[in-house]
Amino acid sequence: MSATPPIDQLVDNLFRREWGKLISVLTKLFGPQNLQLAEDVVQETLLKALHTWKINGLPQNPSAWLFTAARNKAIDVLRRQKTQQQYARNITPLLQSEYSLSPTVNELVNDAHIDDDQLKMMFVCCQPQLSAEAQVAVILKTLCGFSVAEIAKAFVTNYDTIEKRLYRARQSLKENKVCFDLPPRTALEQRLENVLTAIYLLFNEGYSSTHHDNLIRKDLVAEAIRLAELISNSKLINTGSAHALLALMYFTASRTDARLDEEGNILLLKEQDRGKWNREMTGKAIHHLDASAVAENLSKYHLEAGIAFEHAKAINYEKTNWKNILHYYDVLLTMYPSPLIALNRAIAVGELLGPAESIRAIEAIENITLLDKYYLLPATLGEQHSKLRQNERAAVYFKNAILLTASPAVKKLLQQKIDALQL
Amino acid sequence: MLIFHGCPDVTPSPEQMQASMTEWMAWIDKLAKDGRYVSGEPLMTGGKLIKGNIKGVTDGPYAEGKEVVGGYFIINAENYDEAVALCADYPDFDKDGSIQVRQVMKMDM
Repeated sequence: MSATPPIDQLVDNLFRREWGKLISVLTKLFGPQNLQLAEDVVQETLLKALHTWKINGLPQNPSAWLFTAARNKAIDVLRRQKTQQQYARNITPLLQSEYSLSPTVNELVNDAHIDDDQLKMMFVCCQPQLSAEAQVAVILKTLCGFSVAEIAKAFVTNYDTIEKRLYRARQSLKENKVCFDLPPRTALEQRLENVLTAIYLLFNEGYSSTHHDNLIRKDLVAEAIRLAELISNSKLINTGSAHALLALMYFTASRTDARLDEEGNILLLKEQDRGKWNREMTGKAIHHLDASAVAENLSKYHLEAGIAFEHAKAINYEKTNWKNILHYYDVLLTMYPSPLIALNRAIAVGELLGPAESIRAIEAIENITLLDKYYLLPATLGEQHSKLRQNERAAVYFKNAILLTASPAVKKLLQQKIDALQL
Repeated sequence: MLIFHGCPDVTPSPEQMQASMTEWMAWIDKLAKDGRYVSGEPLMTGGKLIKGNIKGVTDGPYAEGKEVVGGYFIINAENYDEAVALCADYPDFDKDGSIQVRQVMKMDM
């Protein structure tokens, strides 16, 4: 190592981002039926990089280093297995001949069309024969470089469930001989919806992280925005719902700096200094909200962005138009019934009609058992009971909520609420 | 010479790799700033062990993952105590990694 590169040369999320790019180009090469093979090659490539770089320092161009290493590994793998395997349909013969093997790999495994490749990969993941959850899991695993444990957190479920989901998804890509290409125009919209769901989950992961103490990871938020912009910038699929999702994400992200105080405590919307909201992001949000109007159908992102817009418009918490917000939640709940949306609606009910009505709304939630492991349910009930000065009941709910979250910042916030009850 | 032993987790997530890389760069940065760092190289896994004569070649040098040497640093230190103290920030202790600290023999000419 000649000179020590400064730490800031290590780009945020370099490993996760390069993972997504490499998986995309290798899937183009191996075919979606060999997704596991692509993942193995990428895992080995990144491990080799870590092993080398941590002692030698970063190379001048880490991405180019990785693409070269991945190409070499791919050629090794193809040489070893060339007669027994079927790869991407149109190029399999080229990969089975020693004359054309290296040129074909060099042609495909590079970053010349990396945006298109990642876009196509998103749609490979969204096969109609997979469940929506499985599609989302595969996107997070392949394009976003999430580990199984990290995906489990995003889904509020356990490791084995995700592992099984991914296994079945890989099997399904194999059995259905899926191509590496965009779906036909008729299926595009439906598949796009699942792609957007995955991006939204990635974004939310940025607000409650799996294994870091800090609550907000701006890098994950940026990654979700990057993927959504990849879609909204594409000439092939420029739809209103992608813009609506971008609006929602920018509105939410604009509050990042106001969301924690100097000691890293969570500040609720009510307590936030609205002067710290990022106006540049709010501007982008409004831009995308405008652009989203071209959509033929109202997506849930339109409605959620509408709610976020109401918050952005209010000069202070007291000026919030809860009536409009409740209206958006009512429409949302009709179009997309879900206990989670119903819970958020109940919070808006509380702001508009008081804590007793909020509790009533919570008790009326259909399929509320689906939220059994979600801390926000007891946390909300605790909040409403504390407003009714039923402090002992509130404390029980807050304690319950503490047990359900892994986030130290959320635990601390809930403990502060218990302390404030002065039992 | 700091010799790094251990075969860290073979299935870290990209995020964990990023975290590990950040820690290593911070450590090297610190060593370099203090004028301690001289050089270092990673070693590839695998290799050969030769015993007796060149016909006595086996795959090696170790079978145990824990004992595999992943790489080394050459650093400047006055004595073992100082060298050991410089290892306080070694990032892989919690990943079952260990460090062998050896003094490179210098002949006075």
